[in-house]
Amino acid sequence: MRTKSIVGESREINLAVHLIQLGARLQVVESETSLSYERLLRLYKEVQGKSPAKGMLPFSTDWFMAWQPNIHSSLFLNIYEYLNKSSAIDEIDAVIKAYELYVEKIKALGLEHVLTITRAWRLVKFVDARMVQLTPCTCCGGKFVTHTDELNDDYVCGLCNVPARAGKTRASALVH
Amino acid sequence: MQPDQLLEEIREANLAYLMLAQHMIRADRPQALYRLGLSEEVANLIGNLTPGQIMKIAAGNMLMCRFRFDDEIVWNLLTTNGKVDNTNGLHANILMAGRMAEAA
Repeated sequence: MRTKSIVGESREINLAVHLIQLGARLQVVESETSLSYERLLRLYKEVQGKSPAKGMLPFSTDWFMAWQPNIHSSLFLNIYEYLNKSSAIDEIDAVIKAYELYVEKIKALGLEHVLTITRAWRLVKFVDARMVQLTPCTCCGGKFVTHTDELNDDYVCGLCNVPARAGKTRASALVH
Repeated sequence: MQPDQLLEEIREANLAYLMLAQHMIRADRPQALYRLGLSEEVANLIGNLTPGQIMKIAAGNMLMCRFRFDDEIVWNLLTTNGKVDNTNGLHANILMAGRMAEAA
């Protein structure tokens, strides 16, 4: 039998609702709270008005290395690191707050956000597992997401050295 | 600008800045630290200021806020547009968030 306080449980429900509102996949909420799967499922349907997406979470670090995702995830991770350094907060709170600041900034720049909360959460887990890290660009000094096992001594970021096909996605082709 | 008018404008800018800062710190401290670029200790002090204290601090011949990024690269990026739509804005923000994390 679980001995859990009601206050603690209400905090977990709040956290779960917040994550679901931000669009988190159910697996994320499941691993960040100790609420049962059945309760989370009901919560998800109540908040989102539909059943959660099925299937596994994206698990590859490669997505974060493609040009556009790399820029967006680098912005998120820089904000996350700042929050983590400047105040003592739980990891998941830092993820949520950093993600909100990231979305806010992207909107202010008039862009679409590429990073989802699930990916952002995943990225932080990859950093914890030392699979990816922030590496300073030798040209601008900004820090960008890279694999940990790469030779990064003369790393130049995708914004200082923009690849020829950068930004030419299927979506942008449809607009023009 | 007359000296009196200058002092008055500094006071008004200080007042608006301090009140906004206090509001942000009270609403969401971790996010406020990011937006303001403050340490937790100073944020605690500002969060607890009384209106009277704010008025007193605001009146003076010095601005209480200052430019946070004393950096040519950042300002160049902020004032230009970049090859692909608005990437310079993103680039500037990555640099700004990174510089702050180093200083924190």
